[in-house]
Order: sequence, then C-alpha cells, then structure tokens
Amino acid sequence: MDTKDQESRVSSQAQESMLPDSTMAPLSVEEMIEANGPAEAIELETGLPAVAPGAKQQKSPTPLQDSLRRLRKDKRAMASLVVIILFVLIPIIGPLIYTHIGPLYNSPLNGLIGPAKYHSPFWQELTSQDQLFSSQYWLGTDSLGRDLLARLMAGMLVSIFVALLVEIVDIVLGVTVGVLAGYYGGWIDQVLARFTDIMFAFPGLLFAILLTGIFGESADTAFQHIPLVGANGNARLILVSIALAFAAWPLMARFVRGQTLQLKEQQFIEAARTSGTNDFKIILRHIIPNLFSIVVVAATLDISATVIGEAGLSYLGLGVQSPGSSIGVMIADASGSLAVHPWEVLLPSIVLAIIVLAFSFLGDGLRDAFDPRSKD
Amino acid sequence: MVQFLVKRFIGLIFVIVAVTFITFVLGLNAPGDPIKTMLGQHFNLATYLSLRHTYGLDLPWYQQYGNYLANLFRFQFGYSYQFQNEPVWDLLKNGVPVSTELAFWALILEVLIGVPIGIISALKSNSWIDTTNMGVMLILFALPSFILAVFAQLIIVWFDTSTGNTWPVQGWSNTPWTYSLSDIQVKLVPILVVAAVGTAFFARLARTSMLEVLRQDFVRTARAKGLRERAVIYRHAFRNAMIPLVTVFGITLGTTVVGLFFIENIFNIPGIAQQTISSIEARDYPVIQATTVLIAVGVVLGNLLSDILYSVADPRIKAA
Repeated sequence: MDTKDQESRVSSQAQESMLPDSTMAPLSVEEMIEANGPAEAIELETGLPAVAPGAKQQKSPTPLQDSLRRLRKDKRAMASLVVIILFVLIPIIGPLIYTHIGPLYNSPLNGLIGPAKYHSPFWQELTSQDQLFSSQYWLGTDSLGRDLLARLMAGMLVSIFVALLVEIVDIVLGVTVGVLAGYYGGWIDQVLARFTDIMFAFPGLLFAILLTGIFGESADTAFQHIPLVGANGNARLILVSIALAFAAWPLMARFVRGQTLQLKEQQFIEAARTSGTNDFKIILRHIIPNLFSIVVVAATLDISATVIGEAGLSYLGLGVQSPGSSIGVMIADASGSLAVHPWEVLLPSIVLAIIVLAFSFLGDGLRDAFDPRSKD
Repeated sequence: MVQFLVKRFIGLIFVIVAVTFITFVLGLNAPGDPIKTMLGQHFNLATYLSLRHTYGLDLPWYQQYGNYLANLFRFQFGYSYQFQNEPVWDLLKNGVPVSTELAFWALILEVLIGVPIGIISALKSNSWIDTTNMGVMLILFALPSFILAVFAQLIIVWFDTSTGNTWPVQGWSNTPWTYSLSDIQVKLVPILVVAAVGTAFFARLARTSMLEVLRQDFVRTARAKGLRERAVIYRHAFRNAMIPLVTVFGITLGTTVVGLFFIENIFNIPGIAQQTISSIEARDYPVIQATTVLIAVGVVLGNLLSDILYSVADPRIKAA
C-alpha cells in the first residue's frame, strides 16, 4: 500500500515535470514547497472526504467540521487568527477612538490643538519630532512630528485594502479560469498554461516593479478623484493592486485547475452527469464547493505575499506617495536615521513581520487542518 | 531526451518573445515623449521629427518591436532618457558584475547552509532540533528581505556602538570579486540577507525530500542488508533526496534576484537593481525595461538549465 502510493507519486511527479507548464513555469516559492512536499497530497486528497476510512461512522462530522476542529486545536494557527482579527479591527476602529483621546496641547507653532489634529496621520507637529512614548503620543512621533500610531494604523488600512482587492481579483479570476481550464481543457487550458508560463518568468515583485515604475505617476493623476482611495497619495494603490493581482492569479488558477482535474474523475461527478445534470450545475454545485479548502489555503498564503508586496513597493517609492502612510513608507522614511532613532524603523518592521507571520502560520495551519496527512 | 529538449526550447522562445513583447508594449505606452524629453528646451519641430525618424519611433509598432528584439540580441537596450544619448547598456554594464557577484554568493550559501539544515532536521525529525530549525526557517521564509536587512543593519549599529568596533554598514566597492578583509566585512551581511529566504526554502525542501526518501523501500533494504547507517544515509538516501532540489534552482534564482532590488537599495550596493530604482525615480523607462528583460530572460534560462539538470539527474524523466 505504502509502496504503491510512493510509486504513483514519483511517477506523477515525473509526468508533471514533462508537462510544459510545470517545467517551464516554475511555481512560486510557496507553491513549489507544496508541490514537492506535504501539500502535494492536498491535490490528491481533497476531492475525497477528508476523513480516514476507518473513522467514517454514521452521523460523523462533515469534513469541514472535522477540519475546523483540527484547526481549533492548532494553537499557533489560532493565535495567528487572533492577530489577524486585531490587524483588521485596529486600523478600522482605532483611529475613531484615538483621535478623541489625549490632552489639549498648546503647540508653540499651531496654538491650542486637540487629539483630533495631532493624532491625525498627516499632522506635522514640527516641535515634537522623533519623540518616544508619551501619553500624548502613545508610540512616539517620526522625524516630521507625525504620530507613529496614527500613521501605523493608516498604513495597516492600506495593507488591508490592497490585500482585499488583490484577493478578490485573485479568487474570482483564478477560480473561473482554473475551473474552466480543468473542466473543459482545450484552448482555455492551453491559454492558461501559456499565460502562466509568461507570468512565471517575472519572479516575485518584478512585474509589479515594472508596471508601477512605468505607470505610477499616470496612476496618481488618473485615480486621484476616486473617493476614499484617491486622496493622500494613495491613488497609486489601485495600480499596485492590479499589478500584484495580475501576478498572483495564474498561481491560483493552476491550483484550481489541478484540483478540478482530480474532481472531474470522481464518481460523484460521474453520477451527477449520468443523472443528466448539465455542466454548469456540476461546476457550480459539485466542483466549486469542493475547491473551498484549496482556495482558502492559497488565498491565505497569498495575502501574506500581497502585504509584503505592497510594503515592498511602497518602500521602494512605487506605492503610497507622500504624505500617505504605509508600512513600507514608514520604514523607508525612518531608515535614514536608523542609528539615531531605531524605534521608528523597528515599529513598522515588527508590525509587518507579525502580520506576515500570522498569515503564513494560519495558512500552514489551514493546510494541515484540511489535510492532516500533509503533516510529516 | 532530444524531443524533450526541443519541446523545452520552443517553450523558451515563446516565453522570451512574450516577455520582451510585454515590456516593449509597456515601454511604448509609457507616459511622456522620449524625444521631447531628450530635446528639452531645444525643442523645434524639424529636429523633433528627424530624431523620431532616427530612433525609428515613427515606424508602426510591429516594426518597432522587430527592431527592439533585434537590438536586444546585440545588448542594445536603447538610450537613457536621464543621461542623454548614453546607451542603457553602458549604464548597466558596471552594475551587472556587482549584482551577479551578490546573487552568486547568495545562491551558494543558500545551498550550503539550507541543505544541511534540512537534512539534519529530517534525520532528527520531530525532535527539538527539527522543531527549532523549522521554526527559524519558517520565519526567515515568511519575512520580506527588506525587514531582515533593516534588522541586520540595526544589529550592526548596535554591535558597533556597544563594542566600539567599526563594522561597516555599507560601502560595497565598484570592483567586483575582490576579497580583502574590509571587502569581506562589507559583503558578508548583504549576502547573508539575500540568502536568507532561499536558505529557508532549501532547508524546508531538503527536509521534505529527505523524509520522503527515507521512507522508501530501497532505504529499508539497505538497512536490512546491514549497511552502516552512515552509508545508508549518505550514499543511498542523500543522493536521491537531492534530485528534486535541482528543479527549484530556477525559482530560487528568481527570488534571489528580486531580493536584490531591496538589498542593493538598503546597503547602497552599486548593482543593476539600484540603478533601476534610481532610474524609476528619474522616469528613465528604457533602463527599467532593460533590467526587467535581463532578469526575466535570466530566470527563464535558469529554469531551462535546472530542467536539463533534472533530466540528467533522474533518468526516469527521459523515459517518460
């Protein structure tokens, strides 16, 4: 039994590398680990009920309940989930509260001002530059006297916005194209394979650097009138999101395609087809629900990459523009005075590290929860 | 084997044409008029039109693309907007060896550090050594390189101020492949930072691959016939575990090279990535185009190389 499993895996790996799309187009780092490692089993497994045959009893929990139970036991993943919830809540609720907390301050330059002003991410209080923690500035100020906590929350909001936009495009495009390519094969499959070949030639952020490097300033003017996003140097985020999503969705499409290919051969699909269900219903009712686990895992890991991508581009000056705030911009702003005011660099770096690790840990945890066999 | 190579080669050409086409189209639609920028204050219509003609910008796009492609093969990437009439290649050619050196040592370290860590983890799987190793590797793998670079710089600064040492934070010289003591001091940290992600990648992959191989029947057979454990591991398991690692060479090359964009910037290293970033600030699109094409083509070639190596390392591929 064991040997057979190994053999089929080796031969499937061998075939896999003969396929033009898998050899020519390297998977991203994350995917490659999965493809060669534990998560390869996901593709083989998730089509089937994820419970071991022996454990299958009447009224046993559904595979999803089973996975969630496993996830709840994973302390690291649950801690990450808490961090992620905070990451979403703090920048949304935080500023509403923070701008009302704080003493009135008699500024030598601006007269008497309240927290609504000096707790704004853009307010420059030039007499209180580079401060450390105080009751007025909870996390200190930067070199222009702007409140670090306020800027941090504004930056986290930017991360959330970009992650959300990228994931929507990623999931919609990736699932649609992936399912069509896997289910129907033919030209859609060919086009997807060729397209992924091309996109994988641009490793990591390279495509986004190219796109934002050339069209960044046009995007600033083109998107500046969009409400909410357009103001405060954030207009370029739309372009950043498009660039990141464009580079991300082929990977999702390939995951989905692989999973759809497996599902298509399953007996319950065959049964549905024999009983006269049309393709559209099969895809909608039987295939897409079964893609849930793979899409969730891929999207979670991809959010981590997206947050890094946005911060990286902003760090390079290709994302959020001054006076806007982003974690990357904060790091870039403060890196000049690294030796003198290390805290201003450390704070956004640590926050970014925590967010990124939380999503990576949760992604890992979800993968193990959906497919317990993937854990060595 | 021949069939395999031909197939891969056709794929290679397709991807290269597509990648150059994408960068060409983006460059063609870049905001601003290169000739106008070049002329600046000396603008007059006659010179403008004649220069447009000289640079072939009045041709239809497909002819322009043909010229662009033909020039690429001769390492002519057009002319810089920023430094008038200076060929892009002249701007980049000093940076290429610097970046190559950085990426080269990073790739070497990734394998030399990552693989042994992965193997040790696999041999001691589920022990505290394994857990610690993989925990550290996961963190290195997940953290973006610019964060690691910032942390590394903070550590250097802290080290200098607390011990009175003068370990340099930056100062990478223009002359590549030189290794005096001060050069090594300057180069060590950036190389380690660039290598971090790839090291974690190789470590995780080596562990998985080794665990997979250790479960195989031939390992059991080798043990059953009384081979010493060391021989089983190094002569039988290790070699087979290394095969999948060959395939990821292209990917690590890609991630390593993209890491340069941040590391060269942070450590002030005069490579092509830093040149590209300063070109972005100056809206010097031909330079951005050129580096993108260079990197993309390099990554594609790296993948081809790793595929060929894979088919050499694992003969089953040829049969398939």
